[in-house]
Amino acid sequence: MNRYEMFYIIDTGLEETARKELIEKVSALIVNNGGEIEKVDETWGKRRLAYAIDYKTEGWYVLVNFKAPAELPREIERNLQINENVLRYLVVKLEEKRSAVKPRAVRPAPAEEAAPAEEAAPAVEAAPAAEAAPAETAE
Amino acid sequence: MSEDRGERRPRPRGGRRPRRKVCNFCVDKIEYIDYKDINRLRRFTNERGKILPRRMSGNCAKHQRQLSEAIKRARAIALMPYTVE
Repeated sequence: MNRYEMFYIIDTGLEETARKELIEKVSALIVNNGGEIEKVDETWGKRRLAYAIDYKTEGWYVLVNFKAPAELPREIERNLQINENVLRYLVVKLEEKRSAVKPRAVRPAPAEEAAPAEEAAPAVEAAPAAEAAPAETAE
Repeated sequence: MSEDRGERRPRPRGGRRPRRKVCNFCVDKIEYIDYKDINRLRRFTNERGKILPRRMSGNCAKHQRQLSEAIKRARAIALMPYTVE
């Protein structure tokens, strides 16, 4: 289960009852697919859009916080895309804690820098040795 | 000539050094930049709606990355404009 935050915009042309119904439908979709709703926030409500979407300048914003298995957002997005009363949607995964980030592996860059230097040094040493070796065998 | 230049170098003309820029988000100890916090995000765009570069905003690399992500999310959901004509 991951925590997600969904933000979607409903057409303001929709009446209040129809809007409530749509919000219920979306919530039901989450619950029926093994999700768990934490909060449905409508305080954003009617808002001017920063740019026109389908020639509409206003939208009804709904914010939903929920927990769900990783496959669910895809299904939700598919459904929102089909619904023509939903102008836009955005599903964002909420990161749990900073400490969940894995410690980075040692950077390869310094190793690469060091490697040629090491290679170069033995090569110089090896060359006189190689010269010395045949010389010894010859004797 | 060369002596002149040498004298001028330590203190630029006018004597006023550019103020040291400090990351706004580090100062406020913000770990996650919320795409819904439009008033904050708007301060980091110019009047055309473009994201300000780090050299102007003074943000650290970490927060600038988060900021640009947040602004792009806000644009997608029509909270912020892509362009202002």
